Amino acid sequence: MADRPEREVRRGRKGRRKVCSFCVDRAEFIDYKDVAKLRRFISERGKILPRRVTGTCARHQRALTVAIKRARHLALLPYTSD
Amino acid sequence: MAEGKNLYETVIVTSAKLGEEGSAELVARFKALIEEHGTVQSVDDWGKRRFAYPIQKQTEGYYTLIHFESGPDFTAELDRRYQITDGIMRTIIVKRDPRHVNPKKPQKAHKGEEAHIDVEAIAVEAVESV
Repeated sequence: MADRPEREVRRGRKGRRKVCSFCVDRAEFIDYKDVAKLRRFISERGKILPRRVTGTCARHQRALTVAIKRARHLALLPYTSD
Repeated sequence: MAEGKNLYETVIVTSAKLGEEGSAELVARFKALIEEHGTVQSVDDWGKRRFAYPIQKQTEGYYTLIHFESGPDFTAELDRRYQITDGIMRTIIVKRDPRHVNPKKPQKAHKGEEAHIDVEAIAVEAVESV
């Protein structure tokens, strides 16, 4: 019961469990000043990456979007590039 | 009124046109203002930084982070003063959760080392799967 077998085939590609990096770090809050960390969650064009791409859990994704928007306001992160 | 105190942090972005001294002087003025209504806990000068996008046709500014404690009414006044002060490009005032105040410092130390997931690889994977 503890380890449920991972489904073998997931729409033809090998499954890789995505884990929320903030949960791994036990992050209680996401700092809008930590530009290096936030950068990993925006696309090249400056858009916030969706959860399905980064694997962030819902709770941390909500906190993350707020942090990114604050950082954008302070011009630490771009709203858009080019 | 000790129970009416909250922890806040504020970032002030001043214009690079002011120069190092002008910016420091402006920040010192606000520090004094905060001291009048509360207590300044720490001032962290980030120095000159490039903006991620141009603001008022300028490309860089001086960033200063101030941690302070005050009553809840003061933030509105502080924000008002920010708005009417020349040379300030951007500001933010955020309330800090007392539960998060302590683990704040050590978190910065191991910054950049928490790359447990490879975002790029996952992104590629996700694109391929569509």
